[in-house]
Amino acid sequence: MMATALPSILTILPELVLATGALFLILTGAFQGTRSINLVNGAAFAILVVAAIATVFQTSETQTAFNGSFVVDDFARFMKVVTLLGAAATLALAIDEMSRQLQKPFELAILVLLSSLGMLLMISANDLIALYLGLELSSLALYVLAAIDRHNAKASEAGLKYFVLGALSSGMLLYGASLIYGFTGTVSFAGIAAAVKGGSGPGLMFGLVFLLAGLAFKISAVPFHMWTPDVYEGAPTPVTAYFAATNKIAAMALTTRVLIQAFGTDAAEWRQILVFISIASMGLGAFAAIGQRNIKRLMAYSSISHVGYALVGLSAGTQDGVNGVLVYMAIYMAMTVGTFGCIVAMRTKDGSVETIDDLSGLARSQPAFAFVLMVLMFSLAGVPPLAGFWAKWYVFSAAVDAGLVPLAVIGFLTSVVGAYYYLRIVRVMYFDDGPARFVPLSGVLRAVLAVCGIVVILFGLLPSPIVMAAGAAAKSLF
Amino acid sequence: MTIGLTHYLTVAAILFTLGVFGIFLNRKNIILIMMCVELILLAVNINLVAFSAFRGDILGQVYALLILTVAAAEAAIGLAILVVYYRNRGTIAVEDVNMMRG
Amino acid sequence: MDVSFAFFYLFAAVLLGSGFMVVAARNPVHAVLFLILAFVNAAALFLLLSAEFLAMILVVVYVGAVAVLFLFVVMMLDVDFAELKQGFLQYLPIGALIGVLFLIELIAVASFIVSGGKIAGAPLAINAVAQGERNITNVKAIGDVLYTTYVYYFEAAGLILLVAMLGAIVLTLHRREGVRRQSAAEQNARTKLTAVELRKVPFRQGV
Repeated sequence: MMATALPSILTILPELVLATGALFLILTGAFQGTRSINLVNGAAFAILVVAAIATVFQTSETQTAFNGSFVVDDFARFMKVVTLLGAAATLALAIDEMSRQLQKPFELAILVLLSSLGMLLMISANDLIALYLGLELSSLALYVLAAIDRHNAKASEAGLKYFVLGALSSGMLLYGASLIYGFTGTVSFAGIAAAVKGGSGPGLMFGLVFLLAGLAFKISAVPFHMWTPDVYEGAPTPVTAYFAATNKIAAMALTTRVLIQAFGTDAAEWRQILVFISIASMGLGAFAAIGQRNIKRLMAYSSISHVGYALVGLSAGTQDGVNGVLVYMAIYMAMTVGTFGCIVAMRTKDGSVETIDDLSGLARSQPAFAFVLMVLMFSLAGVPPLAGFWAKWYVFSAAVDAGLVPLAVIGFLTSVVGAYYYLRIVRVMYFDDGPARFVPLSGVLRAVLAVCGIVVILFGLLPSPIVMAAGAAAKSLF
Repeated sequence: MTIGLTHYLTVAAILFTLGVFGIFLNRKNIILIMMCVELILLAVNINLVAFSAFRGDILGQVYALLILTVAAAEAAIGLAILVVYYRNRGTIAVEDVNMMRG
Repeated sequence: MDVSFAFFYLFAAVLLGSGFMVVAARNPVHAVLFLILAFVNAAALFLLLSAEFLAMILVVVYVGAVAVLFLFVVMMLDVDFAELKQGFLQYLPIGALIGVLFLIELIAVASFIVSGGKIAGAPLAINAVAQGERNITNVKAIGDVLYTTYVYYFEAAGLILLVAMLGAIVLTLHRREGVRRQSAAEQNARTKLTAVELRKVPFRQGV
């Protein structure tokens, strides 16, 4: 019982890299002030990449640390790599955006590091307390990041809304966690699973419902999505990209682990809830996005519907389903980073623009840019043979195998509806006449767009690296 | 008649409901919403401490202690964002913090 | 029926009453003061549960820091709260209905957890957490595990506080231009050569 709680360094190496790196950079920034901005930004990017590499080279055995509060398995490693790569790419976007602004807060990169650390803790959380602490570490940093452009009224309103609804959702999550603790007498997922096996009662189900409500907020699933459009529109674009590309992935990993590892034997009970959330998210995301003129708002609704698709896989509750969720989140990350890279690149001489009409005529003025955006839109819509199609294929086939045929059919129908608004952007770019003339893209943006475009195009031809890794990751959960 | 676990859980349930109810009623006033969130967290803490005491397990109290710590941090961040918002807008009314929409 | 019975109902009633007043108070300063009252009564309930350490923390940290922070912000922001209060009654009927239904369900669950007998072997009388058998204080019981078994939580909580500090600073610290500040280094570096300028002033011409 009183044995040492300190784990082997290798088990927590990525987290250690992020934590110590963030602390060093805080000191650097505090002593050097704004002069150190390039150093801090560059070092933060390097730290994220190093942490991702460290995660890749961790052993694939399941290891636990800190008396079982912290678990590293293939599932955690896969999600961590995706999250860290998303964080590194969006930090690159943020650095690029920052280079054009007067305000250069060095804290932005440090907050990105700390919230990424929180996400890693979420992904590795193996009990209810670790879950809560990881969630709050990432959320608190995200609240600040949303409002970091503090002279911008829209950004501070976004931060305020995100904060208020986030605080409410963590209250609900905690109430659920307290009921689960009270019912089972333990907070560890393994202990909860053992108690659930002995028969669940309304108390435990109530706790699970509250817990799911809190988690649904973090992944912005209907009916807890209402913050998403406002926050995505109001926050600075690279920060929005960070929200979409990383936080959602970590929260999805957490939801998956809670449902499969803690409540896996009780799948029949939560499947109905998940099916409802999934259908509602897909439907709302598809229909509400149709009337949007602002491309960031449109991406918010798009992200809601993509969460719905990923939840289709989770609803299946099988190993194939989890495999589908993993593949889906990885591809979603690449598509989202690419699309937000394009939105960051929508800069005219007078500043950034973000309505869809501003894109008209882009195909003539900047054909390469328009081509990448078109590929990403086709992929988000799920047009074969691009990556987005395969992502949907994996989750839908898992749902069909698990007997959830109606869910898969509804998913297919909503993706047809959703295709309408993605294709509208392509139409505006290629067939409308307009003055779209953005300033030339910087090297960083070109690199990010190129990598995302290549991933999206090549996944269909060469799916095995991601699919194999996801398969091993899904296996480790069961 | 002695005071049992149910009594404490009932108090916590009422307090939790009051907090949620308060958020729905005071949608415009952000400070009051934050106070309602504090009430919700207090309800959670009562739940945890009661479970901890009746189960004879210290973990519930450790959980409650961590929630207090995090809630203090959360309040600090929330009020900082509120001050920034006030500086930009000159008011703390957020018309669209509307939980029922869409 | 013992004394703790009476005290439980006293503290619980004041806690819930002040919780209600937090929601209903017209004046936000009153709302904060009722919040403080609620915290103090919750601390008293913790004492009844023999969680002395948390009771003290709730008073010292929560009332002492967080509630005062709220009070500070309420007073610092010059806000017309009467205007914000409008529309309060508009949602009252539907809100009350949902609230009551919600409450009934929660209480039903609470009593089920206890009476349904699903908690096998859980003692239903207060078992003063580990201090009964080991005869140690509540503070020691928490301290024993917080820095050893649960050190991970402790470290993570430390990082969360770091984020809070960083966030509050980055959001609200203004470095205003054009404000004269004292610089001790600059003052010490002054010498007669840099500080005093001697001019030869011609007679009847001024400087």
